[in-house]
Parts: sequence; structure tokens; C-alpha cells
Amino acid sequence: MSALLRELRLLARDRAALALLAVALLAAAVAVASGLAEVRQQRAQLAALADADRREREAVAAQQADWGSAAYYTFHLTGAPPSAFAFAALGLREHGPWQHRVRMLALEGQIHEPDAGQPEVAVLGRFDYAFVAATLAPLLAILLLHGLAAGERAAGRHDLLVATARSGTRLWLLRAGLRIALLAVALLLPLAVGSMLEGTAGAVALVAAALVTAHLLFWALLCRWLDRDGATPPSTQLMQGVGAWLLLAVVAPAAIAAVAERRHPLPEGAAILMAQREAVNAAWDLPKAATMQAFVARHPEWAAHAEVQRPFEWKWYFAFQQVGDEAAAPLSQAHREGRAARARTAATLAWLAPPAALERQLEALAGTDATAALAYETAVRDFHASLRQWYYPRLFRDLPYAGDELAQRPTFTPPPG
Amino acid sequence: MTAALRIARAEWGYWRHSRLLLAALAVFGLLLAAIAVLSAARIESEATRRAAQQQAAEQAFTTQPDRHPHRMVHYGHYVFRTPPPLAVFDPGIDAVAGQALFLEGHRQNSAAFAEAPSAAGVGAFGVPHPALAYQLLVPLLLIALGHAAFAREREAGTLAPLLAQGVRPGQLAAGKAIALGAAALAMLLPAAGLAVLAVAHGEAPAIAALQVLLYAGYLGLWVLAVLLLGALLPRRADVLGALLLAWLATALVLPRLAASHAVAAVPASGKIAADIALLEGLRNAGDGHNAADPAFDALRRQLLAQHGVERVEDLPVNFRGMVATIAEERLTALLNEAAERRMAQERAQSARLAAFAWASPTLATGIASRALAGTDLAAMHRFQREAEALRFEFVQGLNQVHAHALRYADDIQRSVDPEAERRTRVDASHWRLLRAFTFEPAAPAARRDNASAAGAALAAWLLALALGLRFAVARLRP
Amino acid sequence: MAPALEADALTIVRGGQPALRGVSFAVRPGEVHALLGGNGAGKSTTLLAFLGFLAPAQGSVRVEGADVGADPAHARRRIAYLPENAALYGHLDAYENLGYFLGLAGLRAGRGAIDAALDRVALAAAARTRRLEAYSKGMRQKVAIALALLRETPILLLDEPTSGLDPVAIDEFNRLLRELAGAGRSVLMVTHDVYGACQVADRIGLLRDGALVGRFEATPGARIDTEAVHAAFVARETA
Repeated sequence: MSALLRELRLLARDRAALALLAVALLAAAVAVASGLAEVRQQRAQLAALADADRREREAVAAQQADWGSAAYYTFHLTGAPPSAFAFAALGLREHGPWQHRVRMLALEGQIHEPDAGQPEVAVLGRFDYAFVAATLAPLLAILLLHGLAAGERAAGRHDLLVATARSGTRLWLLRAGLRIALLAVALLLPLAVGSMLEGTAGAVALVAAALVTAHLLFWALLCRWLDRDGATPPSTQLMQGVGAWLLLAVVAPAAIAAVAERRHPLPEGAAILMAQREAVNAAWDLPKAATMQAFVARHPEWAAHAEVQRPFEWKWYFAFQQVGDEAAAPLSQAHREGRAARARTAATLAWLAPPAALERQLEALAGTDATAALAYETAVRDFHASLRQWYYPRLFRDLPYAGDELAQRPTFTPPPG
Repeated sequence: MTAALRIARAEWGYWRHSRLLLAALAVFGLLLAAIAVLSAARIESEATRRAAQQQAAEQAFTTQPDRHPHRMVHYGHYVFRTPPPLAVFDPGIDAVAGQALFLEGHRQNSAAFAEAPSAAGVGAFGVPHPALAYQLLVPLLLIALGHAAFAREREAGTLAPLLAQGVRPGQLAAGKAIALGAAALAMLLPAAGLAVLAVAHGEAPAIAALQVLLYAGYLGLWVLAVLLLGALLPRRADVLGALLLAWLATALVLPRLAASHAVAAVPASGKIAADIALLEGLRNAGDGHNAADPAFDALRRQLLAQHGVERVEDLPVNFRGMVATIAEERLTALLNEAAERRMAQERAQSARLAAFAWASPTLATGIASRALAGTDLAAMHRFQREAEALRFEFVQGLNQVHAHALRYADDIQRSVDPEAERRTRVDASHWRLLRAFTFEPAAPAARRDNASAAGAALAAWLLALALGLRFAVARLRP
Repeated sequence: MAPALEADALTIVRGGQPALRGVSFAVRPGEVHALLGGNGAGKSTTLLAFLGFLAPAQGSVRVEGADVGADPAHARRRIAYLPENAALYGHLDAYENLGYFLGLAGLRAGRGAIDAALDRVALAAAARTRRLEAYSKGMRQKVAIALALLRETPILLLDEPTSGLDPVAIDEFNRLLRELAGAGRSVLMVTHDVYGACQVADRIGLLRDGALVGRFEATPGARIDTEAVHAAFVARETA
């Protein structure tokens, strides 16, 4: 205990170390604050949209006189609100859509519509906590911890220190431990404040804190290893440390991404849209019975109601929309599966690059990773399917229109997490 | 000058004796070459693929069978954003912006299928491209090579004898600058290679040269910064630490901080909110599918009066086609207004970003580089505007066919009378009205202008550092 | 009673070259023992061996009869070490430096004890609250000597203890060493200062190229003859 206090007092006089710790605290605080502002803005935006969407839906409902038009003209807002930990890792919410407005037309024509952010901002990436913890913190750790023994040797104090302390190893471990602990505190304090403000689940916050700390320990061990003989000059060790950062935070993640993407090629996005468009548009030129046959083959429950008599009937219109979706389904599913496979491969390989692993883990905790994006997409697909289930009996059985039933339409529930 | 050259040679000799520095030079050289080759291959295959898709989309449209022209309005068309030649060096927004845009009647869609959301998403930098490598990584090499330039002499006690022998501090600094500058120039070779490749693919040579010059300036700025801190601080450990912190702040932190600031300062309302707001306006503009919509009463009265007839059936034009034309025009005006508002919002965010260019030369270089390459926000907006122009053009072309090539009487009967429906199918040769689309970068002068503000920030940094170095070197003491 | 320090046929290899070859000597309790030699003779190497920083290739080093290799912590507990050009923390003052290093040794000293030690090495009182980076080399040396005193270990290893000190301070330091020896503490110092060594040492070993090539001993009532040692030193050096 007295040893700890002694080293703490010594560290308290080291201006460079204090400056680095202050930089860490400031960076983490700014990242948390900007993350909080971002998720709050997203929530406010969703709430405002939900309001506008409800008003718009009511206005549309008031104008309809049949089920088909109601289904055609009504949009439904779906959105995945940010989780209570999303402030720490904005992840894919930067690039991918987390809100869609869908109607009962072919879903493939709607679900790929991005509501993406400004591209020039997206290119730079956000200053979120995951960036600070995974990318910045290792550099701060290296600056703070490199050459603890070699620095003393360069200053001519090494032998006196070790002779006086009796064991060098204990002294360097104590100093490194103290520095890494203070760095961890500087990084975790803002995270704790942010988690409290957001009401993050304690378990989530604790796991995140443990991951951040473990990541710091990795870099501390690396610094210790570079300093193992205490003889390599500190500036050389610093360059070696930054070289290791370059390898593990830049080169390795890029290689991992390249491997994951090469191993799991995706069907071209445009091909999905084309397949859907061709199928939907071809229906107008085909005999209606052909479309209904294709529809009934997949949905035999409507076989008894599949006959189309007038030149235009809504049930035929929505049937060919669904046939269009089904034409694109293999491609679309391959696209989703490819994305999931990429995420899995990347997740496995990311353990080779601790910064990438930490970033991914934080995004997983925050529900902002590819898995969460796919879960949202699945929820939208399920919701769209439930809309069809609600309208089809009314359209196919030709049930009389009852506007007040529209209030019972399914509503979207975001996926848990 | 010979003194300076001798000092530069001595510096190179020192590098040659350091395994670490030799390894760093080799690794960076290989890394840059590899990134350049991979990036060139990737972007070229993307360009070829998207150009092929564009052709396929045009062919799909023009080979559609005879049908009602309004069906073609809904059949729609795809345009693809092909990367400009200099994207091999700086793909800019390419990965995060949608590549394919579906053009159809009554709607303005957003470009879909950006790479980034489906990418494996590992690490903070994704797959590095050459521009990013130059902005972010090469300064690290210059720091590793140059941080000890003065401090090493000072610590080894050779600075005093050097100065005592009559070597002027200016000559010393010039020698070190030559040594480090040569390394920077050598590292620029892959960039120059890519610039040549871009010229071979049709880029204006002046812009390609400017791009290389921009990065020469950026690396030159780091050479000056390395020497400045090297001259000011006493120990090499201090110099290295300070340079790394400066790099961390300006290259790593500030650009992202700027991005976070930009979106917080100018919150974007998003496309869905804009769509909902539009729908209200649209209900007032009239549904172009419904010629009985009261919003078209004025048009009906005007047309009847103009042709001196009583009923729309007697008009020499198809009233439905006229309605579709007018409706599309009114709607497009509204859509364009909304689109311009959204683009203005995005430009405001970019302006917030650009303000940080004065604090971060890395950000300034990135902005200027994307502008020169034609891979910046302006290019994306240009793509959106050109696509919209094409959309409006072919939709209105089809609406004209609708108004003039088929009869109103058939048109209103086609849902109930199969014969009338057959007569509303116009000849497929009309689909050739679709104009071929190729997305080209803006004119060189426009791109140069877009890059000029960020370029000025960079020049100011260069000047300030050069003056600082002069000042520091004049006061160089052992 | 075992010798305070004992080297037995000590051979040490540094960087592939033998730095010490078969050196044997012992330091008795209460004795001031000097190792004299030119640059690169192996003086500092001998001290580092007693601290366990360098392992013998052959032979052994013992502190109070215990083998250093087996228990370097014991040796370091019993020894206060004054390195050549002792560097302390430049951004701390004398009190803070001594407080830190004593803490490192598991000791605690009040301001009074520290002042007493600094008085003994004659460090000006006004200087004691100044940061060491503003000190002259001699002043820093005095603080380092004070640290060795405050450790109150039975053995002191001193590497060129008087370098950087002015003649007055050297005289005072030599008197101090005799005092310490008189109080029963054993001192092993290495130096190339023939005059100083003769003034203060009970015995002198002359090192050359890692080998002990001469031994001189004071007799009761007479210090070692400077002329003889000097002659031996120079003869060997020029031989």
C-alpha cells in the first residue's frame, strides 16, 4: 500500500504522464458526450417520425373506401431505437438504415432504400467511445508505458533503483500496473457516467468495462515485453509499439475484412432489385391466371379465392407484388446470409487483432453490429409479412370494407436488444 | 549547398545502420505499393462492373415490349454511379454512398447498395485506400525517420562540434530536410503511379498532377513539423512523444471529432421525415393517376377553352397524358425543392467539417483530395442531380407519348375493354427515347475550385511551419 | 565471522569479452576497501556482480557469506549502492528524492533524519528544496551519498564517489568514510583517484584488464604509501 502511494506520488509529479491521462479522460468524455447527443437525436427523430407517421396514416385511412387502397396508400414506420448502450459504439447505425417506412408493395423494392447519413461524414467515421477505447487507447497506453525500465536506464537511475528496491521486476510491474490502472480509470469514468445517464444494464456496462480493461492489459503486456531487457532505448521501443499498433489496429483488421469479404461474396444488390422489378412488371403483360397460379403454388390456402374476373383487382395486384418478392428471394436471402457469414468470419478472425475484437464486442453489446442490423431487417420482413396476413383474408375473401378495423392492423415491434 | 548535401548523406548513412528504420522504410514502401495495386484493381473492376450494369439497365429498358407508356414510367430505370479515374487513388465517398439509383415516375429514390453496410466492418479504418495511407500512415514513417535528426546529434554530443566547425544551423536544417524530404518523395512514387494510371483512364493531367502536388505538400508539412519539434525539444524521447501526440491529435482525432461535430451542429432530418412532409404537399398537388382529381380542374378548363371543345373526349390530345405531364412537373418541383433542402443540409454539414481543416492538415488534405478526385459530397450531389434530370426527361418523354400517341377514349376504357387496352399499347420503338447515362466527374476547373479552400488551409500550415522552423533553427543550441 | 563481501575466482563475461578474470578478494567488516584501476579495468563490473546484476561465468560472489546469485534480494537489502554519476529524479527536490528512494528500500525517514544526513554531506540547506535538475554534479553526488548513509546498511558499494566533488568536499567525504568504518560499516569503493584511495582505504586492490594485479594494505598508524601505489598504477598502465 505504501509502495503504491509512493509510486502514485512520483507519478503525480510526471507532467507528461499526467498530460496523457488527461488526454485519455478528455477523449473518452468527448466521445461519450457526442455518443449521448447522437443517440438522443436518433430517439427524438424516431419519436417525431412516429408522430408524423401516425398523423399521416390516419389522414390516409380517412380517405380510403376499400381494403386494397388502404393497403396501397398506407405506409408504416418501422424503426430500431438505439439501445441503452448504443451511445458507446454507434457501429453500423452510421451506414446502415435503422428506420424504414414500408407499405404492402413488394418489400424488396423498399427494404434496400437507405436512409443513410451524409457520406462525407460517414467516410471520416464518428468519434465514438469504441474508437477511443479500441484505436486511441492503445496509442495512449504505448506512450504512457513504453520503456519504463529502459527510460530509467537512459536517465542513469536504473541500477540504483533496482539495487534499492531489491527487485526490478516488482518495481516495473508496480509502475506499469499503476499507469494502466489510471488510464483505465480515465477511460472508464466517462463510460460509467454515460451508462448511468442512459440507464444501461449493469451487466452490459460491466462487461464493456472488463473488455476495455483487458484490451489495455494486452497493450501493457506488449510494452512490458518490448522492455523485457530494459536495454532497448525508449524511443526505439516507442516506435516498435506504434509499429505494433499499425499492424494490429490498421493492417490486420483490413486483412481480416478482406478475407471475410473474399470468402463470402455477396450477390450484387442491383440484381435483387432487377429480379424483383422484372417479376412485378412482367405481371402486367401476363395473363392474370398465370400470376395467380404462381401465387397459389406457394400459398395454397388462397387457392379457393384466386380467380380474377375484372381487369383490375387488388388481390391480383398484391399477389404479383408478393410473387415479385419471391422471385428475388433467393438472391435477397443469399445477400443476407452472406452478410451474416461475413460478420461471423470477421468475428472469429477479429481475435487476431485485439483492437478490432474490442470494437466488435462493444458494437455487439451496443446492438449496433451486423447481427443487430440483420435482426432489424428480419423484424421488418416479419412485420411486412404480418401486414399481408392481415390484409389477405379481407382482399381474397372480398370482405366488406370497415374503416374502423384499420386500427387493428399489426404494429411494428423492434427486435429486442 | 554542398554542406547541406553532406549532412543529408550522413543522415541517410545513419538510417542505413538502423535495422528498425530500414525495416520501417521497407514495410511502408511495400505497404503503399500493395495498397496502390489492390486499390487500382478494385476500383477498376468496380468501374467496369457498374458500366456493364448501366448498359444492361439501358438495354432492359429499350427492349421492353409494346405496352402502355405509363407502364414504362413505373417500370423505371437504373443509373449507376461509376467511380471517376482518380478514385483509384482516393475513392472518397464511394464505399459509403449508394451505387445504384432507381428512377421511376412520381418518386425520387435514394441511391442504394453502398458497400459499407455489407462490408465485414473490421477495425476503425476499413480497407485502407492509398489516400488514407498517405494521410494517416506515411507521417508515422517520417516521424520515425526524422524525429532524432537534431536530438541524436545533441545527445551524442556531435551538435556542438558541428556548429563549432562553422556549419551554419541553416545548412544543418537544410541537410536534414533534404534527407527527410527525399524519403517523402520516394514514398510518393506509388501515388504518382496511380495519377498516371488515372490520366490513362481519361483524367485531366493537370488535376492528376495537382493531386500529387497536394500530397507532396502534405508530406512536406510533416517533414517541416518533424524538424521543427526536433529543433525545439532537447531529447529524442521528448521529440518522438510530442510528434506522436501531434499526429494522434491532427490525423486521428480531429477528423472524426469534426465529423461528430458536423452532424450534431446540423442535425439532418432524414429522408423519411422529408417524405412524410412531402406526402402532405402531394395530396394538394394532385394524383397524376386520377384525371378526375379536382386539382386538375383548372387544366381541364384551360384545355377545353384552348381547343374550343366541350368535353375532354373531344380534345385532340389525350387528357390523361396531359394530366400525367402536368402532375409530374408539379410533383418534381416539390421533390426537387425537398432534395435541394436536403442537399443544402448536407453541404452545411460539410462546411462545418471544412472549418476544422484549419486545425487539422490531415482533414484539409482529405477534403481537397476528394474534391480533386471527384469523390466528394459535391460529386454525389452532382450524381443525384444528373440522375434526376434523366428521370424527369424520360418520364416526361413517356408522358408526351401518353398524351399524343394514344386516344383518350381507349385510355379510359382499357381497364374494362381488352380491345381498347390493346390499342393503348404503343410501339416499343418509343422506349428508345431513353438517353444513355454515364456519370462523369465535374470539369477540372470546378473540382479545383472545390479543393481550393482546403488547399489554402494546407498552404497556411506549410507557411507557418516553414517560418517556425526558420525561427527555431536560428536559435539552435547544442 | 564471514567477510562482508567476498569474491572468489570471479570471472565475468560481458558482451562476449571477459571483464573480470579470476578475481579473488574479501572485504572485512569495518574495513574501507578500494579497487583502483584505469578505464575498463573491471571496477564497476565488480560492484554490479555484488548486487546480482551480473552473474559470474565462473567463481562466486558472496555477501555476508551468502551467495548473491542464490539470493540477490538479500544482498541488495544489506548493501547501499552509490552508482557512478548517480542520477536521481531531476524534477524532484532533495527531500522528495530521498523520501522516494528510502521508500523504495522499505524505509521511512523523517525530515530531521534527512536533514542530518544532508548536513553530514554538507549540502547547503537552501538548495534542499530545489529541484535536482538545477544542481551541479557535485551537489547531486552529495544527495546520492546522503541516500547511502540513510539506508544504514552494514555495507556500502561506492562507484567513483568523489567524482564531481571539489577538494574540500572530497576531504569531508573521506573523513565521513573513516567515521562509517569506525562505526563498523564495510565499504567497497572503486576509483581511479590514487591519492584519495590511499588517504581513506585500509586495503587497495589494483585492477588491470579484469585481473587483480596488486594489493596494498595500510598498517596500524600508517596509511598506504601513495607513491608506491602510484608507481604501480602507472607502471602497469604504461607496461
